[in-house]
Amino acid sequence: MRSPIQWRFPGNWAIFRMDDRLLLMLIGTIVGICSGLAALALNTGLIFMLKWVHHWSSHWWAFVFPALGACMSSLFLEKIVKEGAGHGVPEVIYSVSRYGGLLRLRSGFSRIISSCLTIGSGGSAGPEAPVVMSGAAIGSNIARYFALNDRQRIILVGCGAAGAISSIFNAPIAGMVFAAEVILGEWSAVNIIPIAIASVAGTEISRTLQGNQVIFSHQVFSIDIGDILASVGLAALAAAASILLTHWLRAMQKISPRIIHIFWLRAAAGGAAVGMIGLWMPVVLGEGYDRVVQMIGGNFPGGLMFVAIACIAKILATSLTLGWGGSGGIFAPCLVIGSAVGLTYHRALTLILPSVTWVNEGCFALLGMAGLISGMLQAPLTGIFLIVEITGGYNVILPLIIVSAITTTICYYIEPASYYLKDLVDRGHLLRPGTDARVLSDIKVHELIEKDCISVSQSMPLRDFIKIVEKSTRNFFPVEDEKTGHFAGMVHLDDIRPYLFNPMMYDAVLVGQIMNPDVETVSPEDDLTEVLQKMDAQKLFSMPVVLNNRFVGMISKATLLDKYRKELMVQTSV
Amino acid sequence: MIPRLFHIFRNTPLGRETLLNSVYFCQQTGAVPVVYIPEHTKFLMYFENEVVQVDLDASYLTSPETAKNHATEILLINGFEPTFLGPKHFTASTLPDIPTDFDFMCCPRSITDLSSKIGMGYIGPRVRNIVNAARFPVLLSSTGYKPWKSIVVFFGGSSNAVNALKLGFRLKRNSGLPLDMFTQAEKKPQVYRELVKSQQLEEDVNKRVRDWKVLESGSLEENLYEVPHDALVVMGAFGHGLIKNLVFGSKAEKIQSVLPNNLLIVGPRYSAVH
Repeated sequence: MRSPIQWRFPGNWAIFRMDDRLLLMLIGTIVGICSGLAALALNTGLIFMLKWVHHWSSHWWAFVFPALGACMSSLFLEKIVKEGAGHGVPEVIYSVSRYGGLLRLRSGFSRIISSCLTIGSGGSAGPEAPVVMSGAAIGSNIARYFALNDRQRIILVGCGAAGAISSIFNAPIAGMVFAAEVILGEWSAVNIIPIAIASVAGTEISRTLQGNQVIFSHQVFSIDIGDILASVGLAALAAAASILLTHWLRAMQKISPRIIHIFWLRAAAGGAAVGMIGLWMPVVLGEGYDRVVQMIGGNFPGGLMFVAIACIAKILATSLTLGWGGSGGIFAPCLVIGSAVGLTYHRALTLILPSVTWVNEGCFALLGMAGLISGMLQAPLTGIFLIVEITGGYNVILPLIIVSAITTTICYYIEPASYYLKDLVDRGHLLRPGTDARVLSDIKVHELIEKDCISVSQSMPLRDFIKIVEKSTRNFFPVEDEKTGHFAGMVHLDDIRPYLFNPMMYDAVLVGQIMNPDVETVSPEDDLTEVLQKMDAQKLFSMPVVLNNRFVGMISKATLLDKYRKELMVQTSV
Repeated sequence: MIPRLFHIFRNTPLGRETLLNSVYFCQQTGAVPVVYIPEHTKFLMYFENEVVQVDLDASYLTSPETAKNHATEILLINGFEPTFLGPKHFTASTLPDIPTDFDFMCCPRSITDLSSKIGMGYIGPRVRNIVNAARFPVLLSSTGYKPWKSIVVFFGGSSNAVNALKLGFRLKRNSGLPLDMFTQAEKKPQVYRELVKSQQLEEDVNKRVRDWKVLESGSLEENLYEVPHDALVVMGAFGHGLIKNLVFGSKAEKIQSVLPNNLLIVGPRYSAVH
């Protein structure tokens, strides 16, 4: 009766049963290639759309393009693939936290198409988060096809994210670090090896099909101690920009549905607003990589005020695009805003201290990018490695580390959760591996129910009850209604103590008279966290579990501790 | 542990009939209905190795202000304490996650299409996905309230059919109703008996099955007339072969397209409790 087609289950092959690292390395390579191809598909689509839109971009009515793009993007997500708006990274982290990395197959392509429509038409967003979603969904569904377990599936989700980031930025280390730091939230040798291989596969796909080029190449900067000290101030400014972007994005997400109820009209309105800003300040349109190249190269036009206004305009445009229903990520806007912040800071320094010789403003643009990425993602390593790789700027590593570290710290104090994690933290859905919440979430109430309780009826005389107590090893006894079988209350051994030494009372007292009818109960549906809160609040060590008015069993802290320990060992074992 | 049946309530006359079928099933089998009144047209079910997005048709959100009262009324009349499921987790703000640790689930034949389109012979893709991914059997209720007085297990010899037979024994034990077996023979009858023996179910079949009809002549469609109109039909879905994840299996497809009875479908991931 067993299916003879074993090729579908390589996890059962003898060679992989010896060590599943080999299996994960093999499948991780496949996932890295597929997610790399997905990233290239989005890149190609964006280039095609941007070229097409560019023909008309000088007309006054060009503001309708971002409106149309955002509108089509939201309609595609809501009506065709029936997924909500957003870039998807929180969804990936949520799935990894709670459901072993299970993601829908449609997520493998949905965000690529929707973000292509939004960004390609001029919306201010980035393609990186959508390809992370796509790569992660590819990893998850390949794991599903090969019938892998939760732990293996989570690693392949990480492989997909790493392959996508590596491919789109031609940055293998950044991809690897992003997957471990942001998506999985843990570092272990078992995770890192397949993720590293997927990163290599994704990068190699990008290099083979697009060529090996540093995205934001620049001149060599000569940095002295003064520049390093000045970078502390830049970190503070980058943190302020990060907080501003985070708050405006959230504010737009809250306000926009109240102003316009129809989702596609809302997205179109946001897109039109971005288009109008773009008529006046084109730097805000699209992913903005060409502007970043200008800024790092020290060729960005205008003075201090112009670049400061461009920075604010880009923050506003990104908030309007993503907060009003467009699709895309915040990586690319962070790079543009960060480099604008760096330029603003440099120009201000030059104005205030004209006698000091500062490094080229392109260096500060580069440091600003690292600051924004680190501040928004609160992932300093991702910020550092990404900027080093996409700019080839290892010579700026010292101020880069300082800016990333300080920006992350300041942002953490003001907004403890990163942009990606804020919603999950607010809803209590962020469950990182090995944490108390994660262990508890994997244990269900029905797994802890102790069924060796003897139920008694309300009309049972104390004499009969004492005989039952003699046979039982428990201190609690559930009482049920004889007619309906409904749970009526509990009797604790302490409740019969006053009558125990008075045999006269044995036939005079009934169980119904000594039971406690006001007992706090739990349902098998309840979350264990809620059950524990109830126990702590009432200072209880055990509670009855009741379903449909019927006693099901008892749940106790002792059983929970035992199960908790086992679950923790499973989750933290390699 | 008291078994629980998951029911998605549709606040329409069709939904009432479906809930009545669920409630009757619970009364017969000792299960407890857990009712979900949707507030969004889509939700996710995270199974062991698959996530299924269910896109409900708009009628599921009809008159939300009366939905809970209507469901409560039906449950109370039939002796059940109303138990409603409120989603605790959300993948996105309008995309709730529905737990999958139930013992049964009741579905109409399609939950994505408008009820006017649902008819015999059509099972929607989401329902197929749920049957394929779930550890629990799925009750495909008939379009009208249809109480049943016996249980019929279709036994074609596949592993899912063996699971369906084990489930039939469990239902008989819980309900006390007579259990019959039907086999549309493609091989000699002895082959099926040997199969039952090899699964160590021979004694149970002899003791618990009232009648085992092995139909050697006539087509399946013709022979289905023999199935009592007031029986709960239990069968396995998804047969053998490369496309087993796409179609129910040829026999199951025919049975569901011809029989108007309530059907209890056992999918490939069902773990039988015997």
